[in-house]
Amino acid sequence: MSRYLVLYAYFLRFSFSKAMEFRVDFFFRVGMDALFYATHLAFFWVIYQHTPSVGGWNLDQTLVFAAGIFVADALHMTFLSNNMWLFPFLVNKGDLDYYLVRPVSTLFFVSLREFAANSFLNLLLAVAILLWALGRYPEALGAGQVTLYICLVMLGSFINYTISFLFVVPVFWLHNAAGLRDTYFGLSRFSGRPDGIYKGWVRRILTSILPFALITSFPTRALFQADGLSIAVHMLIVAAVTFGLLLFLWHRGLRSYASASS
Amino acid sequence: MTARLFFQVVSMEARRRMSYRVDFWINAIAGFAAEFAIVWFLWKAMFAESGATVIAGFTFEQVLVYYVVAILVAKIVRGTEFDGQASEDIYQGGLNRYLVVPAPYFAFKYAQAVGALLPAFVQAMVFGAGWWLVSDGAGMEHITLGGVLMAIGALALANFLYFMMAYSLHCVAFWADNVWSLLVALRFVTSLLGGLMVPLALFPDGLRRPNEFLPFRNLFALPAEALLGRVAFAAWCEAMLVGVIWLGVATVAARIVWRRGNLQYSGVGI
Repeated sequence: MSRYLVLYAYFLRFSFSKAMEFRVDFFFRVGMDALFYATHLAFFWVIYQHTPSVGGWNLDQTLVFAAGIFVADALHMTFLSNNMWLFPFLVNKGDLDYYLVRPVSTLFFVSLREFAANSFLNLLLAVAILLWALGRYPEALGAGQVTLYICLVMLGSFINYTISFLFVVPVFWLHNAAGLRDTYFGLSRFSGRPDGIYKGWVRRILTSILPFALITSFPTRALFQADGLSIAVHMLIVAAVTFGLLLFLWHRGLRSYASASS
Repeated sequence: MTARLFFQVVSMEARRRMSYRVDFWINAIAGFAAEFAIVWFLWKAMFAESGATVIAGFTFEQVLVYYVVAILVAKIVRGTEFDGQASEDIYQGGLNRYLVVPAPYFAFKYAQAVGALLPAFVQAMVFGAGWWLVSDGAGMEHITLGGVLMAIGALALANFLYFMMAYSLHCVAFWADNVWSLLVALRFVTSLLGGLMVPLALFPDGLRRPNEFLPFRNLFALPAEALLGRVAFAAWCEAMLVGVIWLGVATVAARIVWRRGNLQYSGVGI
């Protein structure tokens, strides 16, 4: 375990020194994400000028939900997004060879090698917005509820990681993951609205097979509703199943991997 | 650049874009279905939970049609904003080959962008016709020939305006290492203020009125509203005038950035 932590510390050091070489891009990224947050907050604010609730949540609850989206998105952008983007290139160019021969888990390496230091500031900004949204919430929130919420946001981010990787891992067989990656981006938009609006079989799919509703909506639901434990169990089961599926496909994919000819 | 050369570039680019058909249709259908499903559920919840039958002048059917049109308009207006654009040529030194041919770089790029619109046009036709069949024309009662003509005019202006705005940002690549973030930022701002995330009629007056003097409304809301008969001819003329003025501003900005950037350009890429 300590070996992995030391290794990750090296990843961080390399990423920050690389980001500092491209300072203009660093600030462009910060500006971009700040606009992402501003437009989303404005969107919900405009919507709530015409309705008292959406998916059973009032504006105060939706602002916490929106802030949760920002944190989950910033976590994904900071720790994982670049790696998901680069993975198909590693497979197609045969560069995965260099990772396979290293004495650490290849999945760990390809998932976390690229830390987006230029998104790190946005993670801090997203956390600040979350603190603001929680602080302005008119009712008292218990420390236990908030702790559970934070844990579930982390678990939701882990589920997001497994889903996004499940959409690119077929590159071992398809050799081109661009279409699937775009499909992931399209479907991930479902996570940007309160899960209470989805009904019927769409809701069942979004909470099980394609669990986008679990990324931020379920943690927010656990914060405001009494059934936090059942939500946590639901998320843990889905996280275990999706990660198990990812491991299965990963090992099958490695068996199909034929270096540069993949 | 002669008109013949311009249309030849348009035709070549259109054929190139249509060559990846399976990928294109999978993405197009999945993307549209997801986007539309989210809108459907969101507005279903809004109407149910507010108890209203009309929100900001839209019934449920009308707001769905608005979104279908706005989503398809956005595909045509934005085209391929990230792919094969000026910033790539600047980074990779590919600009060199354009500098020695007897045709202006800007015209060449715009011709390529217009050619790349063919898949978006095909999608708009297929999904638009599909929606009309499925919905039995509900919410489309006010579509007239005049509205269609106004929409086409607004769409042409919107496409050129968005191209110029994006082109100015692409030219920042002469100085910056990566302009992708600027283009994504443009996407966020135009989605909200252009009427793609929500119809602009939902904005409070204090926001809606100033926004009418900005270029964003021209991008998605105006073509969609014109087609659906939600904007009178006089108001359309006013909005088009605002759009033309902003097009002038964007053109001047792009020229300045391009000229200054060209002085920096070393021809070896990054």
